[in-house]
Amino acid sequence: MATKDSGADAFYLRYYIGHRGIFGHEFLEFEFRPDGKLRYANNSNYKNDTMIRKEAYVSPAVMAELRRIVTESEIMQEDDQQWPMPDRVGRQELEIVFNSEHISFTTSKIGSLAEITGTKDPDGLRTFYYLVQDLKCLVFSLIGLHFKIRPI
Amino acid sequence: STDRIASMADTRDIIRITEDTEDDFEQVVGGGGGDEGVRLIKESAKSRKGRGFESEQDRDDTMEFDAVGIDDGDTAGPQRSVEGWILFVRNLHEETTEDDLMDKFNEYGEVKSLHLNLNRRTGYIKGYALVEFEHYKEASTAQNKLNGADLNGQRMQVDWGFTRGPSGGGGGGRKSRRQRDTKPQQRSERSRSR
Repeated sequence: MATKDSGADAFYLRYYIGHRGIFGHEFLEFEFRPDGKLRYANNSNYKNDTMIRKEAYVSPAVMAELRRIVTESEIMQEDDQQWPMPDRVGRQELEIVFNSEHISFTTSKIGSLAEITGTKDPDGLRTFYYLVQDLKCLVFSLIGLHFKIRPI
Repeated sequence: STDRIASMADTRDIIRITEDTEDDFEQVVGGGGGDEGVRLIKESAKSRKGRGFESEQDRDDTMEFDAVGIDDGDTAGPQRSVEGWILFVRNLHEETTEDDLMDKFNEYGEVKSLHLNLNRRTGYIKGYALVEFEHYKEASTAQNKLNGADLNGQRMQVDWGFTRGPSGGGGGGRKSRRQRDTKPQQRSERSRSR
């Protein structure tokens, strides 16, 4: 089967943030697949809350904007080698395939910009931090409006 | 021997396909579909970077996801959302306001929802917006008339936000046949023919 996606157009993005604690495995994860499918999952057992799992096909226009946001952020030029390792407090994962490059970054939770200044790679972490915020905004708008839920 | 390795790989394919009942049909549709599409795109990358490759976390891929009218099969036409039709607007000038957009879009119907998200770093808008109309006709007309229209010196790009089925890298590809009542062996055989 010929794959049309092995070229420069191919795009994939996944973000995860979560931790395992007294309320179970609490996490947020979303994934944009090459065919336009957006998957969103938000799990918390806090007050016996259940998992929210939604999926939808977003249009090529949305995927194009996602590519633009990723390009503008310059995240593909970064490296997580100097970033804090995931820890007890939690972990974040960002995985992107774009322009034949595949990045898969992991780090701990970042509570605020203030936490970033003391680290070994503040510029890289800041890039990551802002990109994640922008991605969350986009995903929450897409999922929130499509399903008319408050996704967080 | 390579024969044994090949047959082991086939067995794994069957196991994965029959467990993942939601996605096994997507594998017939073009190169971009479903779990297969994800695997292929990762394998096609020419460079890899990051600690995430060192230890792949166990991920639960067997869960099911709620959807609105999704059709993994044939079409990439617009998909209605729960309460209306959502347009996705791009290339907005960074000082564009909600009022600017309301003025433009209200001409075609009542705007039910508007999201104009900020760039969290700069404080200006990020450059895109989501606009919801209740009726298809309103959204469709707005999309036709406003796509390419000028706003604050930039030409807006107005498209549908959601589609009924896959698009993107795959584009066309073969149409998949959604026959969910077939037996697992038949499904996996069909999925494996590429």
